[in-house]
Amino acid sequence: MIRTAPDEMAGLKQGEGFLSLRGLTRRYGPFVAVDDFNLDVAKGELVAFLGPSGCGKTTSLRMIAGLVPSSSGHIVVNGREITEVPPYRRDMGLVFQSYALFPHMDVARNVAFGLEMRKVAKADAAARVREAIAMVRLTGKEHHRPSELSGGQQQRVALARALVVRPSILLLDEPLSNLDAKLRDEMRNEIRDIQKRLGITAIFVTHDQMEALTICDKVVVMNHGRLEQVGTPLEIYEHPKTAFVAGFVGRINRLAGTASGGIAEAAGVKVAAPGFTGPVEVMVRPHRIVLSAGAAPAGGDLHQLSGTVARATFAGDILEYEVEAGGVLMKTEAATRGGETVHAPGTPVTLSWRPQDTFVYTAS
Amino acid sequence: MDERPISPALKASALVMFIFLLAPLLVVLPISFSGDAYMAFPPSSWSVKWYGAIFADKQMTAAFSVSIALALVVTVLSLLIGLPAAYALVRLKPPGAEALGSLFTAPLLLPTIVLGLAILLVFAPLGLLGTFQGLVAAHLIVTLPYAVRVLSTALATLPIPVEEAASTLGAPPLTVFFRVTLPMMRSGMVSTAALCFLVSFDEVVLSLFMTGPRISTLPVAMYHHVEQQADPMVAALSVLLVFLTLAVVVIVDRTAGLAKTFVK
Repeated sequence: MIRTAPDEMAGLKQGEGFLSLRGLTRRYGPFVAVDDFNLDVAKGELVAFLGPSGCGKTTSLRMIAGLVPSSSGHIVVNGREITEVPPYRRDMGLVFQSYALFPHMDVARNVAFGLEMRKVAKADAAARVREAIAMVRLTGKEHHRPSELSGGQQQRVALARALVVRPSILLLDEPLSNLDAKLRDEMRNEIRDIQKRLGITAIFVTHDQMEALTICDKVVVMNHGRLEQVGTPLEIYEHPKTAFVAGFVGRINRLAGTASGGIAEAAGVKVAAPGFTGPVEVMVRPHRIVLSAGAAPAGGDLHQLSGTVARATFAGDILEYEVEAGGVLMKTEAATRGGETVHAPGTPVTLSWRPQDTFVYTAS
Repeated sequence: MDERPISPALKASALVMFIFLLAPLLVVLPISFSGDAYMAFPPSSWSVKWYGAIFADKQMTAAFSVSIALALVVTVLSLLIGLPAAYALVRLKPPGAEALGSLFTAPLLLPTIVLGLAILLVFAPLGLLGTFQGLVAAHLIVTLPYAVRVLSTALATLPIPVEEAASTLGAPPLTVFFRVTLPMMRSGMVSTAALCFLVSFDEVVLSLFMTGPRISTLPVAMYHHVEQQADPMVAALSVLLVFLTLAVVVIVDRTAGLAKTFVK
């Protein structure tokens, strides 16, 4: 294993973050699963690792937990280097997608397992187990086996089991993926509430941008083992740094264009593109586009594109259009307010949007 | 499981198969209660004297004790050797693990008579013929492939995240093994034990090569007894063996679930 020199550690001993990752890398032969991952997480923050499957988010989490050895780089928790520490001495609480409860133990013994390993005195342990089970609202189910519980209840047991030991960091690996939609929303808020109440530092791995945006303080977007952007949900959504982030977080329309002299032209629309030359992609989110029937009215400084309706979908709370414009299908959506006309396919329309809602990226 | 209606034709053919499989038993049971001096069906008189005769026959009771002790020792050793072997093959995945796995099951593919002859040739110069240790070694050759196979399957189907969860909760590797892995393998362990016990207890061909005037196993003693005299004692013994086997199967069913253990 290749380790970087100790002097590279200087400066990350104190104050950088409760959890600091420095150049964390994992290779499988020639394949790089996680490439030079750097991150600082403050105490009490809930941070999402967001990305498509195979982007390295789970591998990163497993490296922090110690279940996957890192090829190079450092993991520092609260000023203590733990890169070489085995998982059972790392003091992390891990919640799995598959719950991973001990099938041969009842709920109480599942929750008590970590305390038993830490040799916590019996009476103290019993009180903490009771408290943890109450926290996840499972009082009365202490003597049920995991197989007798629903998916949501099993995941709550897993959460209690991870939290009862008061770990330094709570790691959640797609904890909601196996639950149905309604339960997922409920559990998501429950996880957020408990995390806030305990003030515990937590990392939440997910491929679901909704989960990441709604409950996390900070979102780390990953792709192909590389970090694409780190920021608050608002920053990630409103100011995506890369075309990948723009496309992965939220829905997006893409127009191919060319840039020169600080102006990019795509499908006849001219947008500001300072610093870009050559082929670019111009992007705008569907719900930031205003669709109006007929030819373009004088739009002031709005970007405008005319086309014809290809498909109209009335979905109750929103009205969606696919508009053939500039050689591509542009999607628009707007919340319904009642009384609007649904334009039939073939209707000529104009799409308008504000310059600040326009993203420009170098074409890949 | 889905409840689907079973057609009368299927029921009828199942019944025929059951009769075919159980018919020998249906003949043995009445003969075991025969009052005659020789095996005949149907018996001309009834008695339980042949059950008494088993316990009076010193050779038979000695062979029975040997068989039980042998099966127990072989079962325990099979688990003790098979479990680490399966763990190494499935979890540590050394280079060539698949080839090794096939190699370990190879004795099952050899005709037992060939195996018996080979064991005879190897064991004779070592002075293992006609000894309890020799019998244990010979039986292990047949039971270990089963043990490694069944335990490997049991281990391979365990969800690894459960062990990882234990590890992140502070359990060192050995604790994880004894507190989590082993308990989760319970049904695999029970079925392995039952299988090894029955295979050893039933084994005739290898034992024929290994036994002699000093030591004999029950199946071999029965075989020799039938060769010499055709009295109904062997039938009585067979009935006892059927019940012993049944007892083992019931124990497996109660502790691990039969369907879960054998039908995987």
